[in-house]
Amino acid sequence: MAAVFAVALVVFMLVNRGSRVHDTVSDADNPAALVGASTDTRIKSFQALVRAHPKDSRGYGLLADAYLQKVRETGDASYYTRAGAVLHTALRLNPRDPAALTGASTLALARHDFRGGLDYAEQARMAAPYVVKPLGDIVDAQVELGRYAEARRTLHLMVDAQPNLASYARVSYWRELHGDLPGAIRAMKLAVSAGGQAAENVAYVQTLLGNLYFTVGRLDDSREAYRTALARFPGYVPASAGLAGVEAAHGRFSIAIRRYRDAVARLPLPQYVVALGETELAAGRRAAARRDLALVGAEEKLLQANGVNTDVDLALFEASHGSPARAVVLARRAWAQAPSVRSADALGWALTRAGRPAEGLRFGHRALALGSRDPMFLFHAGLSASAAGRAGEARAYLARSVALNRRFSPLYAPRAERALAEIAGGRLQVTG
Amino acid sequence: MRARVLLIAVALFALLAASASAHPLGNFSINHLDRLRVSADRVDVTYILDQAEIPTFQERGLSSDAVLAKKRAEVERGLVLTVNGARVPLAVAGPGQISFPPGQGGLKLTRVVLPLVARVPGPRSVQFHDGTFPGRIGWKAIVAQPGSGTDVHSSVSSGDPTSGLRSYPKSALRSPLDERDATLSVKPGNGSLTAPKGPDQGEATTHNRSGDGFAGVFADAAAGRGVLVFFLLAALAWGAMHALSPGHGKTMVAAYLVGTRGRARHAVALGATVTVTHTMGVFALGVVTLLLSQWILPEQLYPWLNLVSGLMVVVIGAAVLRKRVASSQFRVPSHHHHGHHHHPADGGRRTADISPKGIIAMGASAGLIPCPSALVVLLAAIAQHQIALGLLLITMFSLGLAATLTGLGLVVVYANRLTSRINMSGRLVAALPAVSALVIVGAGCVLTAHALPQLVLRVMLAGP
Repeated sequence: MAAVFAVALVVFMLVNRGSRVHDTVSDADNPAALVGASTDTRIKSFQALVRAHPKDSRGYGLLADAYLQKVRETGDASYYTRAGAVLHTALRLNPRDPAALTGASTLALARHDFRGGLDYAEQARMAAPYVVKPLGDIVDAQVELGRYAEARRTLHLMVDAQPNLASYARVSYWRELHGDLPGAIRAMKLAVSAGGQAAENVAYVQTLLGNLYFTVGRLDDSREAYRTALARFPGYVPASAGLAGVEAAHGRFSIAIRRYRDAVARLPLPQYVVALGETELAAGRRAAARRDLALVGAEEKLLQANGVNTDVDLALFEASHGSPARAVVLARRAWAQAPSVRSADALGWALTRAGRPAEGLRFGHRALALGSRDPMFLFHAGLSASAAGRAGEARAYLARSVALNRRFSPLYAPRAERALAEIAGGRLQVTG
Repeated sequence: MRARVLLIAVALFALLAASASAHPLGNFSINHLDRLRVSADRVDVTYILDQAEIPTFQERGLSSDAVLAKKRAEVERGLVLTVNGARVPLAVAGPGQISFPPGQGGLKLTRVVLPLVARVPGPRSVQFHDGTFPGRIGWKAIVAQPGSGTDVHSSVSSGDPTSGLRSYPKSALRSPLDERDATLSVKPGNGSLTAPKGPDQGEATTHNRSGDGFAGVFADAAAGRGVLVFFLLAALAWGAMHALSPGHGKTMVAAYLVGTRGRARHAVALGATVTVTHTMGVFALGVVTLLLSQWILPEQLYPWLNLVSGLMVVVIGAAVLRKRVASSQFRVPSHHHHGHHHHPADGGRRTADISPKGIIAMGASAGLIPCPSALVVLLAAIAQHQIALGLLLITMFSLGLAATLTGLGLVVVYANRLTSRINMSGRLVAALPAVSALVIVGAGCVLTAHALPQLVLRVMLAGP
């Protein structure tokens, strides 16, 4: 009952302030956004709300949403556990609670259960057709599942209904996947200027903008974007890691390593640990790199202990730094569960590293089928083609991998250039 | 660059998500607890550290003595004790203990217990800050314990729900503690301690009104029974206010009553029709929206409804105008006779224009104009299985809307009588009904004209 009151009051307030239909609909599912409260304040309020009304599913949905935002801001995994428990209660009270279904979808996606996430998001959509939020989860799941045409249709619906940070950022990513980098940058700028409810949200898209600038070789713009993100949300780890990447691209490995080390100390996600290790390898610090990269192995063990063994990042790590055979197993599972271009790239690279470049190249083609200009995709396809004895194709891919940003990776960009030189010199060889 | 983060707006903390069951606070976490004891001549601190799998793994290869030395250095750097306004150094008061209990995935945890002491005579005010492991997630707590020879009032609780960081509260409705500061006021006494209840004991310490914002106010308000009445009244009041915003048919209603020389009961009937129509309209739109939700967003329906009601108003206005023009052709000359129809109130002919059909059509067109927010309330109610409440709220809203329109209508009716009583006979009064009819037509045209560009825009955007 309280939930309906909340929605009603929010709607009344908004309309009396003269808001338009879209705003009314979008903000109605998030009352706390109205007062611009911090995530901690929202969490406290909703915890109190739920304690006061333990039978109302809606309060649990709001609380779970705040918990999920808290994870984005801090990386504190215990909030995932809390969100999961709270959502479980909410859906037991009301299996059609739209906010709880949306939360369950977001949580499933974070756990790489893309089909489960899609299912929840579609249920949320059925339960609350006027709420746009589940569309974002639907787009994410469709993209991860490789259903790009469906994702495009959903994205259209989403942008039409609510042109905001969440929809523009997804448009940007969709364009990036299809190789339209200028378009992706334009959309991400729109996402930044659209603003968000939490400072973290804006810092996040600012960081993604920095990543796009990095991909096209605009290093100064990239650094600027990361700095802005850090100014908006101090200590934001993805932006710190981005800055480290820019330093590495300038060849300032010591600074880059220090920055990565700082990022890993606060949030040791595999992607940052791998970046640290690879920068150390590029700087010739082999012992330190081995030591740091071993951490990824430990994290893999923890993942397995929890039943997750399909992560694309881990497959790539195994292919490049560990056991290619294990990489093939991981990537095959990832491909079977989520046939996205990202899975195709990982599987192709794993196969090539495991000594099956012809097969690998086939998946490399799939990774690039949408027109992606991701330098790592191109680098992997180039080396696969080279190992498969297709020099012309290899040259084309490798040349494109360094065309936009000659220093796309401290470790792999020099290898791409070396491979190009070898092909020009008439020698064919796999390097990795 | 490295494989890009893929899910936009959902950070991919796969490891975090999956490993949540490993260490209760995540296997990146560094958890610490300070036990604070203020006595007459000293302050004792016991620092307890519980470090999860990953930070422990990062220190592999170091001897346990080296790890302990590292932790000791971090503690000495991070703890700040201020007694009677001056900073006091905390000295390590023993070798400390370190152990590596087994964690998940064959990995280990780190557990450290470190005693510290500051010898200060006659502490009166004590501030303590724990700045160890800044920016690291985990459980951070300070608990106060009774000392000897003192009577202490503490800002931090005396209860430790973790039993020294060995088990953590499982409630999903509580955040991990993030307590890094403590303030204690000290008097000579016999070892008593006054402190808030522990964080896991009842609601007393958690009920903090400041900064709770809207949700807090709401939580408090919703606790009482009176809130239903409050909300229904709010819906009524809001409906009444909403009728005053542009485009809610008040001009048309007023003009219609003037144009047809309506009486008080017509104004009331109009209001009732508006209530019924608006309520039904929102209900119908709600049902249609639910049925069509597969294919269409509700806001895409509004322009069409705007267009329909706009056209309806034009038609009604035209009908009234036609009647006025027809009747004025034989009424205008009758004014020259100053005959028997002086009394404005008894005009049987006057109300001849008003048929029940006309009232319903007019009320319907005023009520049909969709009110998006009312629809949202209804849909939310349906989604929450609180349909009855939603219907009630919509009905109250519509009543408010109608009350304003009826009130306006009555004002118009009585103003009309007043002007007639003064007997401002002449062209103006004669022309007023016709002018009113024109106003209705004009309003209808404006509504239609407003609806059209929105529709055109929609149709254009709807294309792929």
